[in-house]
Amino acid sequence: MKHKGIVPLAMAALALALSGCAHHQAGPRPGQLKLGMVTDVGGLGDKSFNDSAYRGLLLSKAKLGAYIRVLQSRSAADYQPNLIALTNQHFNMIYAIGFLMNRDLDQIAKQNPTQHYAIIDAIVNEPNVVSVTFKEQDGSFLAGALAAMMTKTHQIAFLGGQDIPLLHKFEAGYIAGAREIDPKIKVDVKWVGSFDDVASGKELANVLYDSGADIIYAAAGKANLGAIDAVKSRQNDYLIGVDSNQDGLAPGKILTSMVKRVDVGVFDVAKALQNGHPLTGHIVLGLKDNGVSLTHFKYTRALIGAARIRRLHQLKRAIVDGKIVPPATRAELAVWKPVKV
Amino acid sequence: MMDFVHGALATLVLLTLVKSAPIVYAALGGVISERSGIVNIGLEGMMTGGAFAAVVASYATGNAAVGLVAGVAVGALLGFVLGYGATKFKVDQIVAGMGINLIAAGGAAYGLVLLYNQPGASPQVHALGRWYWLLILFAFVCAFALHHVLYRTPWGLRVRACGENPRAVTSAGLDPLRFRLYAAVISGALAGLGGAFLSIGEVNIYSEGMTAGRGFIALAAVIFGRWTPWGATGAAVFFGFFEALQFVLQGRVAWLPSEAMQALPYLAALVALCGLVGKVRAPASDGVPY
Repeated sequence: MKHKGIVPLAMAALALALSGCAHHQAGPRPGQLKLGMVTDVGGLGDKSFNDSAYRGLLLSKAKLGAYIRVLQSRSAADYQPNLIALTNQHFNMIYAIGFLMNRDLDQIAKQNPTQHYAIIDAIVNEPNVVSVTFKEQDGSFLAGALAAMMTKTHQIAFLGGQDIPLLHKFEAGYIAGAREIDPKIKVDVKWVGSFDDVASGKELANVLYDSGADIIYAAAGKANLGAIDAVKSRQNDYLIGVDSNQDGLAPGKILTSMVKRVDVGVFDVAKALQNGHPLTGHIVLGLKDNGVSLTHFKYTRALIGAARIRRLHQLKRAIVDGKIVPPATRAELAVWKPVKV
Repeated sequence: MMDFVHGALATLVLLTLVKSAPIVYAALGGVISERSGIVNIGLEGMMTGGAFAAVVASYATGNAAVGLVAGVAVGALLGFVLGYGATKFKVDQIVAGMGINLIAAGGAAYGLVLLYNQPGASPQVHALGRWYWLLILFAFVCAFALHHVLYRTPWGLRVRACGENPRAVTSAGLDPLRFRLYAAVISGALAGLGGAFLSIGEVNIYSEGMTAGRGFIALAAVIFGRWTPWGATGAAVFFGFFEALQFVLQGRVAWLPSEAMQALPYLAALVALCGLVGKVRAPASDGVPY
């Protein structure tokens, strides 16, 4: 009976060893700007949100000579220990990437009033926290307008990850943008229920295409990769990607991607800190400051045509000038009316 | 309207098959393992291992068929680990199963960084293409085969005896541990096949978390199906049907929130478990080390 329990113990130890990612690097020099980051559960390599934040950190390293360190969260239970670990190491700025961290950060920021923090996608009302959010509805509005201009079936679709308020900004902006072009357009909405179920992402995309939609705006994290696989084998159907530039994952089949420049937010915060004027309060990045944007149609410029692209620029100007205010919630969408521009 | 109904029905039937197949494979794996007396809650991990190995092999050789074989092999290997631990070391099977789930998820995550230097998801690889419809049909062939083996062959009788009363098998001059080990290996191979179906059948990448609890659904299907191959297959198709139904209905029933719709398969399973299945009885020595 001596052996009893050894195998599972060894397995658990090995699993822990395999799943823990240790970063070995030289420590910071004295006086160097120290930037720490806690990722959300999607982690590095999601080709989307967390990777974009990491690009901002790498940019800070290259341009500001910062010392950087990333702690990845495997689950929501890792947020607090990761944030505390970085706090104890006295980083100049600690980034919390993702709205799910707002409560943990609020608590930790209160306990460490002299430490600077930044949170992406959520608002934490503490004097030592800068909150960076994005006007996803503005970029999604342009995506919806493009879809409505391109559809041949007068039916388009939205595929979301989880049915949560953050994603409603994408949904509401997209539907409003489509109605701006064609007030009677039919927009189907479906949700994967997670951000990782790639197979379900593909199946749902196929269901949407089969029921008559010919363009899908997919905002479903890694499940987008399934939707992208679905569109590759379809003749006259197209997709719009999200967060990072996904156009190259199925060249010609992805009309554009609604890019959310988390990297810009991360870099701006670091730069202001180094210049001695740390940002505070709530910063909203939109079309104007390139916080959100459509890609440059590298593979689809000919397909879309110059006239439609001109129209998109016109709509973008109208949003920047405040003539069009895309809705950010379902309630706002319900009372939203197309604006003549 | 008729057109829509017709289209929706065709979608529903095909989608039910697509959604069921990976769960059928894993559930059949669960049946053979549990009938031999080994509780296999590592099905999810074996699916993960199969899904990842299939992508790695397809990437390395450019041949999806090799990927499929690799997925089955790695699933079988994980089944062997569970079987060996459960028979040789008499470990707690629940702990060992959880260990396999952890090691598969962690191993695949590490493998992504090691092999492709990109955490989260693999590059795109060659997929099975049309062959994947054959793989859906093959799931039902496996159900037929497993039923035949378990109930119509001496080997199957012995496997079932190991799950009910291993002492009786010993007294017949046979080694129950050997049968259990074989059953665990077959169980892992089937779950690995289910995982490979997901990664190189349905799509063409491995992405962390892509099995999304299907191994645990399969575990429920085993119980729902009363530990029989056809029962578990039926239960897996039942889950698949309600998953497909919620996919088709989502957004069409305006007053029902999407979360409620997504809970439909689980709700249906609960109702069925409480009302239709009646009293279930697990193999008497299921989960008991011998």
